[in-house]
Amino acid sequence: MNMMPFADLARVDAHDKVRGAVAFAADDARPNLAYGAFAVATIGKGRLASLDVAAAEAADGVRLVLTHANIGAVASAGFIMGGGYGFQSHQPLISPEIAYRGEPIALVVADSLEAATHAAALVRATYETAPFAVELDAPGVEVVDQAETPLAHFIPPVAAGDADAAYARAPVQIDARFASAPQHQNPIELIACVAEWQAGRLVIHEGTQNAEAVRHGLAAALGLDAGLIDVVSPFVGGGFGQKNSLQGHTVLAAEAARRLARPVKIVVPRAQLYHLASFRPANRHHVRLGADRSGRMLAAIHEAQAQTSRHDLFPGEYATTSARLYGIADFRGKDELLRTDAQTPGYMRAPFEHIACFAFESCVDELAYALGIDPVALRLANDTTVDAVTGRPLSSRHVGQCLERGAAMFGWERRSMAPGSMRAEDGGLIGWGVAIGTYAGLRAPAIAKLKLTDDGRVEIRVGVHEMGQGVRTALAAVLARKLGIAPEHIVAIIGDTRAAPQHLTAGSWGTATAIPVVEAAADALLARLAELAPGGVSNREPAQILRAAGLPELAVEVQGKAPGQPDAIYDRLKAGLPSIGGPVYPEFVTYSYIAHFVEVRVEATTRRVRVPRVVSVADCGRVVSPRTAASQVRGGVVWGIGAALREASEVDPRYGGFLNADLAEYALPVNADIGAIEVAFVDEPDTRFNSAGVKGLGEVSMAGVAAAIANAIHHATGKRLRELPIRIEDVL
Amino acid sequence: MQPFDYVRATSVADAVRAFGAAGPDTRLLAGGTTLYDLMKLGVETPAHVIDVNGLRELETIDTSQPDELVFGALARMSDVAADPVIAGEYPALAESLWRAASQQLRNMASVGGNLLQRTRCAYFRGGEPFACNKRAPGSGCAAQEGIDRGHALFGGSEACIAVYPGDWAVALAAFEAQVDVEGPHGPRSLAIEALHVEPGRTPDVETTLAPGEIIVRIRVPKTPLGRASTYHKIRDRESYAFALVSVAAALRMEGDMVAEARLALGGVATRPWRVRAAEAVLRGQPFTPALARRAGEAALSGARPGRMNAFKVELGIRAVADALSIARQRG
Repeated sequence: MNMMPFADLARVDAHDKVRGAVAFAADDARPNLAYGAFAVATIGKGRLASLDVAAAEAADGVRLVLTHANIGAVASAGFIMGGGYGFQSHQPLISPEIAYRGEPIALVVADSLEAATHAAALVRATYETAPFAVELDAPGVEVVDQAETPLAHFIPPVAAGDADAAYARAPVQIDARFASAPQHQNPIELIACVAEWQAGRLVIHEGTQNAEAVRHGLAAALGLDAGLIDVVSPFVGGGFGQKNSLQGHTVLAAEAARRLARPVKIVVPRAQLYHLASFRPANRHHVRLGADRSGRMLAAIHEAQAQTSRHDLFPGEYATTSARLYGIADFRGKDELLRTDAQTPGYMRAPFEHIACFAFESCVDELAYALGIDPVALRLANDTTVDAVTGRPLSSRHVGQCLERGAAMFGWERRSMAPGSMRAEDGGLIGWGVAIGTYAGLRAPAIAKLKLTDDGRVEIRVGVHEMGQGVRTALAAVLARKLGIAPEHIVAIIGDTRAAPQHLTAGSWGTATAIPVVEAAADALLARLAELAPGGVSNREPAQILRAAGLPELAVEVQGKAPGQPDAIYDRLKAGLPSIGGPVYPEFVTYSYIAHFVEVRVEATTRRVRVPRVVSVADCGRVVSPRTAASQVRGGVVWGIGAALREASEVDPRYGGFLNADLAEYALPVNADIGAIEVAFVDEPDTRFNSAGVKGLGEVSMAGVAAAIANAIHHATGKRLRELPIRIEDVL
Repeated sequence: MQPFDYVRATSVADAVRAFGAAGPDTRLLAGGTTLYDLMKLGVETPAHVIDVNGLRELETIDTSQPDELVFGALARMSDVAADPVIAGEYPALAESLWRAASQQLRNMASVGGNLLQRTRCAYFRGGEPFACNKRAPGSGCAAQEGIDRGHALFGGSEACIAVYPGDWAVALAAFEAQVDVEGPHGPRSLAIEALHVEPGRTPDVETTLAPGEIIVRIRVPKTPLGRASTYHKIRDRESYAFALVSVAAALRMEGDMVAEARLALGGVATRPWRVRAAEAVLRGQPFTPALARRAGEAALSGARPGRMNAFKVELGIRAVADALSIARQRG
């Protein structure tokens, strides 16, 4: 196989995106379209006592008002982490029960968006209210030990050695508590779908990371044969985990379209999105780290609590991440879930890793200061080649290289250790911080169908979704190199259940899932071409060989799965169920790594914190698409800056739900907040993990950023800040 | 959004007439950046909308008059911010405009309409189920025991602690601008400080404008205080955010001595908040960092913080001190 690094290929869909030529679901304007709008619950919890939709039904242009009273046989499709397909098991409109403020109570469908929106505002409800709890410490919150739930079967608690005894003996002990506010993904593309029935088939156009779950979930919710449903999602305008499963609105759009015999579009407005889809749960952590006086980390205990809903158990995987940062022989983790009256939280970019790395890497910085050891040197001294949790070898780990290279690029040797010791010319404080991040190396099964036609066109159909991360560019890069053709001759049909089974694309496994299978398909195609060309294939384009053989086309199909997965995994794939392998494989354990170096400037008087530069060096195995990979890392760093310094979904316990439900008040970072972000890659293939040597990147790029920022703020100010976001009032 | 009538006015007199005919359930439409937003939220529910955007005579920016700068009410925020005389001679005015909103919003928003921007209080904007005396008089004030990080330290009442969100009016207050209005009873002129009112027991009443009165012009006296001025805005991100604290500061120096000072605060009060007591601390004193800090302490004295916004007192003191230093360097 070709072990050369990949060339820098421009994003294949860049021109279309810049010109607005890519059509997202919300852009759909097909003839005869009807528009849906929701009325939502205004109480924190309870039950509808009455629901008056007469005025809404009588409003101009209204065609249908769906409520629990007339919804019929629609059912919940279940929770994706509970054997089902939805982001939560609570399907709105199928009962009068209200689980949380902001959940839909009626869907109004009209001839125009304006008419639907206006009529939705005319829906009147009265309620029987019930007590509710939305904050972690509120009375009525139920604490669940994850180890005592079915989740423990696939997320076993971390228990290596005897961490409590080893920690008690450790000569140096760091003991700290951390917390993070809930946050929302806020992809720029709103959650949207168009549902249309065409000759007995239901066709869904929706930006989703999981077309197969939308398909099978709709089948379950509506009592349909999944074979009669197609889901089409060629592009997603940002998913970040919020679009990883069936959303309740899609079920209702499909039902409305069936009743009206016309296509129905629902675009969930930004304000409603804070309640109709998932979010990063509120969470908090108690971390204890023990070391000897030389800096050798001996033991650690990570106990985490995170919010879930009353109706589902959204798992926590915090400790399982922090246990993988270093080779700590004695490690104990505990994850507890706190049931609150909210929609079910979910996977938001680096869902556990961002916070686990924030907490643990803050402790490592504290350890460095407790011992007077340089924070980079301390990390290098605790590197490992073995997974301490399982004792198995790591398939690859180059975090030491990430640290060394990043330190050189950043100029770390010019750092003075003492907090407050570096000043800017304007009197501001300078802080330099470092942290590492890690993310599990995961892989799902995939089926790739590759077709060459005699006009030189190559068509690839495979299970993966393009949500801006650049997988179309990665597919073009590997096929162009394998087949010796120009990228513009390659057409990728992805995110489409008609093309190939579409496993959820998330968890940074998209590349490791699709690329090895597509490369294998290209090898199979080349082998068939070799059979057709007894004189040899060298210096001949594939289409030339095909034409010489008198064939109009040549097609191959190849499937692949994670190491150790049984063949039955393909049945789960085809059923739209999560079929993820790793990070613990029979022979090894796989993780991606990154090192971040951050400079902060803290204004001398008003103490505004700015991040003028970041250097990030990632170990994600072979980099297939250098251009989009670097973009992924920059995006992850921007996310880390947002999560560390700005983003918080505000909760008012008197009302439930979220308060700052728009982009003006939910403080995502803007361009003016972002300075230079320099990105580099180790680019060493991990061929134990898969034949292409690729590991995940999208999420590890965010892991550790918040810790590097908090460590830099400590270096600037001497303050240890352990709750996110860190805002101006924390550093005044 | 509820259905409404829409007419385009052909003159100021026509707009005044149309307003009188339509009645109190009427709103004027200028840039639309606040009105449409609140109509979509169901917070503003006018039955009649009178579009004044065709009134080209209200788009003037005139800096050539001997005694005053004259801004037509429909001059766009972006155009005034970019005017070379404003940017060069009155940096506080220019900064108060370009540090507001986003470029797209500034391209739409008018300098007259901006004065009437309504609060960003989430309980006001969020509609049901939140109690809000400003939106629904008599319903109560959810902010009082709520998430009040962004709420007022000054000028609040039991009925309302919502912050006046604008920047431009704060800078205008420092420069003692006049606002010209026309209405059913003819033209009149009022000081910018007489435009906005504190909420008291009627938070739904935000200005002294009578129904049907239209802001046609803003006049700013020309002053040597202009050049040594700044609008210093502290916020949660560096663009597209409302102020946690903002300070309009202007100085006239005689050597190292402060001959005259102007200070107004934004982001901390229910209306643009001129702080004359702080100006008096500066007057006649040699400028030092310690003096600037004392002026800040005077500006923030009497603050009434709530549960989450007490930090804005110290932040405000420091922001005043920084603003004065910036202004001093320009003098």
